[in-house]
Parts: sequence; structure tokens; C-alpha cells
Amino acid sequence: MNWFRKLLQPTKSQSAQEKISAPSTADEPEATVAELKSESPALKVTEPAAESSAPLNGTHAQKSEPESGKDLSEVVADLDNLITEPEPEDGLEATSPQETVVLRMELDEEPQPPTHATAPLPSTGDLMISVVDGATRPLPQDAILEFSPLTHTAFGQATDVGRMRTNNQDSAFSFFASGRSVDDIPDFGLFIVADGMGGHQDGEKASAITTRTVASQVLNTMYLPMISRQNKNNDVPIAESLANATQKANIEIMSHVPEGGTTLSSVVIIGDRAYIAHVGDSRIYMFHHGILEKLTRDHSLVQRLIELDQITIEEAADHPQKNVLYRALGQNDVVEVDTLTRRLPPGAMLLLCSDGLWNQVSDSAISDVISHVHSPQEACQKLVAMANAAGGIDNVTVILLQIPG
Amino acid sequence: MPETTQFTGMGNESSGTASLKSNSVISNRYKIHSIIGSGGMGTVYLARDLNFTDVKRLVAVKEMQASTKDAAMRGSMIKNFRREANLLAQLNHSAIPRIFDIFEINDRAYLVMEYINGTDLEQLMQKTKELPIDKVLEWAIDLCDVLDYLHNQKPDPIIFRDMKPSNVMIDSLGKVRLIDFGIARTFVSHVKGTMIGTEGYSAPEQYKGDANPQSDIYSLGATLHHVLTRKDPRLEAPFTFHERPITNSNANVSDDFAKVVEKALQSNQSDRYATCAEMKLDLERVRLSLSGMVVAVPRPGAPAGAPSPTGQAGAAPASPTSFFDSEATGTIQPKWAFKTEDEIRSSAAASKDLAFVGSYDTNLWAIKQETGELAWKFPTRGGIASSPAIDDQSRTVVFGSEDFNLYAVDQRTGRNSWTFQTKGRIRSTPRIAHNVAFVGSDDFKVYAVNMSNGRQMWAYDMGAPVRTRPFVTNELIIAGCEAGDVVGITLSGARKWSYRTRKAVLASPYVDEEGNCYIGSTDGYMYALDVNNGFNSWRFRTNGAIYSSPVENRGLLYFGSTDSNLYCVNAENGREKWKFNAEKPIIGSPLIHKGEIFFGGTDQNLYCLDAENGRERWRFFTGGPITSAPVVAGNLLLIGSMDHVLYALPLVS
Repeated sequence: MNWFRKLLQPTKSQSAQEKISAPSTADEPEATVAELKSESPALKVTEPAAESSAPLNGTHAQKSEPESGKDLSEVVADLDNLITEPEPEDGLEATSPQETVVLRMELDEEPQPPTHATAPLPSTGDLMISVVDGATRPLPQDAILEFSPLTHTAFGQATDVGRMRTNNQDSAFSFFASGRSVDDIPDFGLFIVADGMGGHQDGEKASAITTRTVASQVLNTMYLPMISRQNKNNDVPIAESLANATQKANIEIMSHVPEGGTTLSSVVIIGDRAYIAHVGDSRIYMFHHGILEKLTRDHSLVQRLIELDQITIEEAADHPQKNVLYRALGQNDVVEVDTLTRRLPPGAMLLLCSDGLWNQVSDSAISDVISHVHSPQEACQKLVAMANAAGGIDNVTVILLQIPG
Repeated sequence: MPETTQFTGMGNESSGTASLKSNSVISNRYKIHSIIGSGGMGTVYLARDLNFTDVKRLVAVKEMQASTKDAAMRGSMIKNFRREANLLAQLNHSAIPRIFDIFEINDRAYLVMEYINGTDLEQLMQKTKELPIDKVLEWAIDLCDVLDYLHNQKPDPIIFRDMKPSNVMIDSLGKVRLIDFGIARTFVSHVKGTMIGTEGYSAPEQYKGDANPQSDIYSLGATLHHVLTRKDPRLEAPFTFHERPITNSNANVSDDFAKVVEKALQSNQSDRYATCAEMKLDLERVRLSLSGMVVAVPRPGAPAGAPSPTGQAGAAPASPTSFFDSEATGTIQPKWAFKTEDEIRSSAAASKDLAFVGSYDTNLWAIKQETGELAWKFPTRGGIASSPAIDDQSRTVVFGSEDFNLYAVDQRTGRNSWTFQTKGRIRSTPRIAHNVAFVGSDDFKVYAVNMSNGRQMWAYDMGAPVRTRPFVTNELIIAGCEAGDVVGITLSGARKWSYRTRKAVLASPYVDEEGNCYIGSTDGYMYALDVNNGFNSWRFRTNGAIYSSPVENRGLLYFGSTDSNLYCVNAENGREKWKFNAEKPIIGSPLIHKGEIFFGGTDQNLYCLDAENGRERWRFFTGGPITSAPVVAGNLLLIGSMDHVLYALPLVS
């Protein structure tokens, strides 16, 4: 208990000069991610070359073609090749282990060659920095020894049109930033899966508008103030900001794609905490200690019938109205958003996916893949391949985050 | 049960192809006037029956067009149509439009029926803000009557299947009429793509293809719920009527009426009315009670009688046993009551066999739990508004006084171990952890005091009086102050983070195992912060100030507000689960014990609620407002009141 006694001694720089004040936060910076790149030399923004044609507010890339000519085994083999191919991307190697910002965005595109978004592991020498004197988060002595070598959250992302559809109406977005300095700015992440619906190109437009709107809202109202240290006393709670961003996306759809709609499952990571906003039947799961826990609740008719013990989960899978949602973006002027916050225990994983995955691949199969595969990216590719192997009747999108443990 | 073809709806859905022009005459008898509705399978015209030359007799002509080009299919549809029309023609009920004629021309089928000059309930709701309750009740009774008539048809009952506001017409005489026997309404399957929207009024079992008389009862309940609450079920999650209690949105609806509707809306068929006749009977009872002919039903939870505080200062007579006297008066008898010389504003604390409570009479009182007799008292030079903290390691009880001092007193003897002086009144309750007492003072500081010797280890300046009880985790001390700030202080006394609410923070913070730090503020909000960095994840608004410190249990957060409600809020997202109205502001903090929640109100009652649903179990009337929290001591529940008395109630298991 020596550490404890020591920590209880007064530090020199405290009390009076540490006036508690509320800096004005009314003006939010208008900075965009592009500005962030140029103005923050300490942070490197890496956009994989293949995806750079899809800027945050740009139009989405050309539609994908169905892979009609290939048979299933070829597709799976291709995916396997992609998984095992050596890392071809440039840019990522230049990323410093200390400051990492990885920005990826996929809108209605063919599955990209895997860009391993895993943050590079720092050398063991970096580990000790996190524990100094009482100025930083105090940890007992023995905790230093337990400190894990994986200090950054790693993530993967994969999406595919499937084997029946002609276009991919799913959209996905992944962003993760991690730094280390005396500023003690917590890790920040934003991950979104949106599954569009509607005829013509309305569905893909609706999901694209949604990811883009939510991403720019969240980065502008949460992330940028955080790294410019302007949100010390931010008036709006995170759950409300996230719900507001979702509401804004809803209005954008209503005005630009009135016939379209979309689901939205999004998660903001700050420190070791996940803030979730959710509408529709895409899902977010937490995987921890071998248990796959569904954190979101489907806003679907069959889910309600299951909750009322009117039908079983098995009956729901074959129900003629299994795709009927009672809540989605683009439906009404105001959308009700489910929010929740959860602490992410060390070693936990978060899985975001569209119904193209969970309708096709069982929970136990999903658990099996994510607990045995080496990297989150590899797991995502494999899950997409499995959905396709099971028929590929729908677009499928998967994002997997791995919390260091 | 007859299978029937779908008749055209009167709604403004997609338009069919109308074949008849205005002023044309069909079947040499019906002169078309105008189109009054159109739906998926055809059109409804308003027409004049030319057989009646002297009077202007108006009829409704429904034109149905088979949607298929296949001749055989078309034939069978026409056959079905004729069968149905014959069946409907046999019905004789004032709420069912009469059928006059059927015929076919050019592969189109026509049904001539009574024209109802009126407005359907859907339109009526759009035109009005509120409908008279007695009218709605009247319609509900008539709808039960007509549904009961349909359900009693022989050999098979007729299931209406599509009860909803747009299918209920109110005619020019103010009577209900059922329209659109859209009986074969099967749900369109959309296997290919995800779609949005639900039926809203249908019973759960109808989604399994099972429609029976009780499905109509559910839909009638749904229709009434929509009319009474004005909350459109098509815009809500399906089967969630119980989440929108009728009396919450419409105070004019009596509890009895609401109960009938809510019974009709049970998800399980067996929980609903067995027949429409049964439901009608209950509605008629409601009508009688509205007109004052039936005495009101006795309400549960009537205020309990006030037990006279029998305790005398220092010598409380102990009544041998007393249990929940529910049969006779619904009151609970205290095991003992101990009267101090002034108001008790703070909570008690308990060691193994003693109870400690500070009084505004400047004394800390130590009372024997078994008998309610005085063990010792410790005088200070100021009123005591700080609750005592028990430290088992040093066997002391630690408390602050308005004489600026923090005292540590031996639990057994009442002898002073040490005294620590601050520069302001102490109204904050100390927290003992890691062999350190953490306490706030009106001198703006949070102090860390070594429990072994009463010496200061550090002080942190909060910039305003600190009256909250600090919360201590393994890494941080969380404290709130009068300026509205909440600060996370490291164990060495340095600031880790701060969060500013809009008004004074007087309720103590609470940190749960998930690392959520809950802060109630007099600005009316309950905030959930990340204990590691102070980021605010959600806030919950009450309509009063929060002085009551929250407690968390099984993912639910409980706290009171001066808006008189005790709230139960989902800790994950800050959504209200239930609230309980105590009719006067709640200042005191709740206590959770074995699935029950206890709290005192300024209405002088101590309440016991079911923690799951907020239903009242019992209440105990003290002689003064309660501003402190109840405490469990063995099999006793201790509560101090402004009537100077500390009550020890037996815990009923």
C-alpha cells in the first residue's frame, strides 16, 4: 500500500491556481476533417488510396457489378487470397506509433483490398510512459506489469453486395484516433453501419447520406472540440449529440431522398467507453469472455413479436414480414433514437453489422470466427465470405473493433 | 369463417381506375354523382337511386375490378364476391350498412349499399383536438355491440379483422357505423426488401395468421386508445400501448374507462375480454359511474394514520413486537422512536448494535438498536446536519458539525479520538476510505484527513461551499459544490477533471460499477459522467431541483426531485422507467434494500415501493418533513424526521 500513501501526499500544483471555470464552448469550430489534416501536423491522416475518391462530403463512387460469373468457391478463394495477401498499401507504414489517425470510408463500393487498420504495436519502451507520478492516472505498482502490449484499439471493416443484389445499399464508416501526450486526450473512435432501403438508388443514397452526415456531425461537434480542448464543459451530453447527428441525417434523407430510408447503428468510442446510437435492424454486439451479447434492439415487427412470446426466434427467421421495420431513418420528420453507453472491458470486441450478416450467419458461427481469427480485418473478410457462402441474398457489412486486453 | 374478397376501402390510398363518369346511369337505375373514395381494388361512387322518383335517395356504389387478367381467376374472384355480398346482405344491425343490390357489368362487380353521410373517426381526429369522453364511450359500447353481433353469427363467426378509426363512420345522427368489411386482408409479403411501417391496430396473433373474435377486441382497444390519447399507433413501436397510459395523455378519461381499454389491449389473448359482450358490460358500468349512479371504487394506498411518536428523549419505551398491521389500518408500528431535542436533518448510521444520529440540537446521539435506549451523546457547539460515517477499523464514528469541526468519536464510549478544524461549517457527510476521511466544508475545501491521527493530508479548493458527500473510488474522489461544479480529484489531491452543471450541486455523487458517475443538480438534471474523464454521456431532466442523492441497483438509478417525483431511470441511457409521485418535494435520498426502495418525503411520509415497478407497498407517517435517507440496521429501518424523532421500523421480510 506504499503507492497509496504516496499518492495521498499533496501535489504542488493544485487547489487555488486550478480554478474551476467553464470556458465558452458556444462556438464550435467549423473545421472539417480536411482542415484537421493540414492544421494538425502531429496527427497523420491516412486514407487508403483506393478509397480516396470518396471524401466525407463527396458523391459516392460508381456502383458495383454483381459477381455473376464466379461461382461460390472462387469468391471464397478470392477473399481468402485477399486476406492472406501481403499488405500492399502505402501510407500506413508512415504512421507513427505514437499518434495514429486512420480514416476509412466505404460507400457502395466493391470490397476493398484489405488495408490493415490495426494500429502498429508500440515498442515495449513506450509502455512505461503511461505511468509516471501522480499527475496521470495512478495505477498500483503491480498493474504496470499487467500492462498489455496492445495499447490501441484495432479494427477491420468489410462490405459486399452479396450474390443476389445488383447494388450495395449498405454504407460503412470507420474512424479511430489514438494519441499519447501530457494532454491525456482519450482515444476517440466513430464506427457506423447503415443499411439503406428503397427502390432505384434511393437506398444506397439514403445510407450514404446518413454515414456522411453523422460522421461530419460527430467529428465536428465531438472530436474536433476534444482535440482543440474546447469541450471541457460541453453542454450537450454525448448521447444527445449522437442522437442529434442521427436526427440531422434523418432530415437530410427526408429532403434529398424522400423515397429512401436506412437503418443506422453507430458507436462513438471515448476512452474505454462506447456510446451507441441505433435505429432499425442493423446490430451492434459485444463479445467478451466468449459471450456474444447483442447490445441493440431490432426495431422490427418480428422482434416485437418475439418479445411478446408470440413467435420464436426460429419462426422469426422465416416470417413473411421479417423485414418490416417500425423505425428507420427517412420515415418521419422526427426519428426516435435508441442510445446507450457501455464500458468496454479490456479484451472485449465490438461488432457492427447489417442484417445481411446476422440473417445468414448464426451467433455461434460469428463468435467462433471472431474468437479464432488473428486480426479484426481478417475476421470481417471471413464473415462476409460466410454470409455469401450461405446464399448471399443480401448486402452484407461488418465492422469489428478489438479493445486491447 | 367466410373468406371474403376485399372490398374497396374509403381511405385515400392509391387510386383504382374509375370507369364511371359523373351523371352516367348504371344498371338503368343508379345515376352516378361523384367519387367518394377509392382504394386498391376499385372505386366508391355516390349515386342516386332513380327508382325513387319522388325522393332523392342516395346510395353508395362500390365498383370492384378484378386485379388479374386470368379469366379463371377473375371468375373465382367474382364468385367470392357474390358469396360475400349474400352473406353481408343477411346481416341486420343498425351499425352495419344495408346491402341493396349486386350486379356485374363488363367484368366489374358492383355492390349497391346504404350511403352513410358522415365522417370517419380518422378524419374526425384530424378535425378536432379532443372528442367528448361520453361520446367516445357511447361509440365504444356500440362497437362492442356490433362486433358481438358479428362474432355470434352462425354457423361461423364473422371476424371483422380490420377495426381501425378509418373504418368507423360517425353518421349524421352521431351513431357509429362499420364500413369496409375488408375481410380477406392478408398482409403483403415483402421478402425481397426491407420495408417500413406496420398496421398499428392489429393484434399480435394476427401476424401469425390467426384472427379470432379476440383479435377484434384488441383492434377495438387500439382504436379507442388512439382516439383517447391521440397517439397514432402506426407511428409507434407495435404492441406498445401499455407504454402510453391513457390517463397520462388525457386527464379526462376515468381510470375505469382506461382499464377497460387496457384490458382489451393485452398481448396475450387469455388476458383480454373473452367476448365483446363482456367488454360491453364493463363499459356500461363505466357509463353508469360517469353519470354518478355507482359509487367510486375504493382506491388503494390511502394515507396511513399517524402513529404518535411515543419516544421520549433518552428513554424510549420499546414495544415488544410489531409487524405490518395491514389488516386493520395499513399502518406500520415503529419498534422504537427516539426523540432528540431538535430537528433531525441528516441520516443515521449504524454499527453492529448502536445507531448514531446527529441532531440540530448540536448532539450526536448513540442509541441501542435493541431497545432504543440512549447509549451516550456527544455534544458539539453547532447544529449537526452532517450524517455520521462509521469506521470499523478505528472503531470510531466520524461526523461534521456547524461548529466547523470534524469529530472522530469512539463508537463504544463516545470519547473524542480527535478533532479536525476547518474554516467553515461542515454540512458534508464524511466518506471514509483507504484509512482517510474525505469531507467537504463551507470554507470551499475538500479535505483528506488521516484517520489515524486526524491530521490533514491535503485540501482541494472547490471555489464554493462543499456540502456533498465525496464519493471515493480506487483512483478518484468525486465531489460537487455550490457553484455547480463536480470535480474528479486524484488520491493525491490534484484535479483530474471537472464538469459544470448550471446550478448548485447539493446531492452527493454516486459511481456505479460500470464507471458511470451520477450527479444530481439543483438545475433539475441528473447527469451521467464517465468517472475517468468527466465526459457527460446523458442527462435526465426533472421539473424540480435535485437534492436527493442517487443510488444505482441492477442497471436502474433511483433519485427524488423537488417536483415531488421519485424517479427510476435506466442507467444505460437515462430513459425513465417509472416515477412515483409523493405529492410534495422529495429532498431525501432513497435506499434500496432487497428489491424495495425506501425514501422520505417532505410530506412527512416514509415510503416503501417495489423497486421494479414503483408500486407503493406501504407508507409510514412521521410528524415532520423528512430530508434524510433511511438506513438499514440489522432488521431495523432507521429514519430521522424534522419532528426531532429517529424512528426504528421493523423490516418486514
